[in-house]
Amino acid sequence: MTHNVLHIRAVSHEMPAFLGLLKSRAMASRSLRELSAEDFRERTAILIEAHIDQRAMLAHRAALRAHLDAGGTVVFNGHLVYPIFDELEPFRVAAGRGVKDLIVERVHPHPVFDGVSCDDLSFRRGVAGFYGRGANPAPPDAVVLHRLQRDGSPLDWVWQRPRGGQIFMHGGNSCWMYAADQTSAARIAPQLLDWIEAGAPAVLGKEEE
Amino acid sequence: MRIAFVDGGTYYHHATFNDPAFSGIFDVNIHAPDLVRADLSEVDCLYVASRQNPLDLIAARQMIADFLAAGKLVVALGETRPELWLDNVEWRPGETNFWWWLEPDADSGLRVGDETHGLYARLVLADATWHRHGDLVTPSGAISVVNTVDGRSILYDDAVSGPGRRIVSTLDPCYHHGSYFMPAATRFLHGFLPWLKAGAPVRR
Repeated sequence: MTHNVLHIRAVSHEMPAFLGLLKSRAMASRSLRELSAEDFRERTAILIEAHIDQRAMLAHRAALRAHLDAGGTVVFNGHLVYPIFDELEPFRVAAGRGVKDLIVERVHPHPVFDGVSCDDLSFRRGVAGFYGRGANPAPPDAVVLHRLQRDGSPLDWVWQRPRGGQIFMHGGNSCWMYAADQTSAARIAPQLLDWIEAGAPAVLGKEEE
Repeated sequence: MRIAFVDGGTYYHHATFNDPAFSGIFDVNIHAPDLVRADLSEVDCLYVASRQNPLDLIAARQMIADFLAAGKLVVALGETRPELWLDNVEWRPGETNFWWWLEPDADSGLRVGDETHGLYARLVLADATWHRHGDLVTPSGAISVVNTVDGRSILYDDAVSGPGRRIVSTLDPCYHHGSYFMPAATRFLHGFLPWLKAGAPVRR
């Protein structure tokens, strides 16, 4: 096994389909309340749920920083509202809440989203707004993957951190929540884990036009 | 009413607690893992915001019981598993149909309970209508504010199951409000929180 993954459970709003995927790949899933700094060591990737207790995550800032400094990957979901990461700014909600404000467009391809239609990110059963209603601001040198077409909110992005490691950011509900959907969005969860198992290789930083 | 907001540390708890529209409602913020050690002597109401790790509340069960024994009010919102940390709560989980409203002639399955309840001075049934996370048995003698069509409750007001008062609901308004997602959840809080702050009068 080349990976050593830690998924941090939030207890609330658990998703059995995703927990099953983690188990089938021998990836650890632990509740935040039972973690110590030791549990963050020597991980290749740490996956964080949108429903996580961010206040409690503050106690693990140093462990997360050490994980990144050592070249690890963090996948963070949700609206970032506490200073868990030194370099990142808090969530900004999108100005518009109408259907046209919530259309998702792809900015840069990424293996996690291979074969995933933006229509399936923009709409679930015809309802808009599940994927993102604002964004955690992207650092200037991050690679933006999807944004809101209307106001450009960077819904998800990957950032190669200058001091080491990378952050895969999704500023909405956990990107693996679609695992049991009957649409192309169901590809996200297994492809995310495939990407991590492959060593989470960095994507090129130039936007495609 | 001096209200302590029990904060699960999530983004939606942060968004609700810090929403300028609710400025002045909450007097104290208690991080849920710290509840077991909190001093509630100056507080009249413990507001357990929706979606919490129930282990934090189970750990504080005795101090919550003591708080009620002092004649005070506990608000237990949805997805906090109050049957594990409050007496006489009977919650039945159910498969949540998030999509009922997309069906033709959709019926939420919710009905006005006691229309003379004080909360109805501040909101209407539509403000308490999104989707259901199971339902509750109304304790004998308590007031169901929002009923289900099959005779259960999703929000009741219970001053009879022991000392103090319990308002228990399956609704999860903080999650949806703080996710900028569900206008009804926002309307619910705009009615419910000022009503609570004004002393939560039982009758309108």
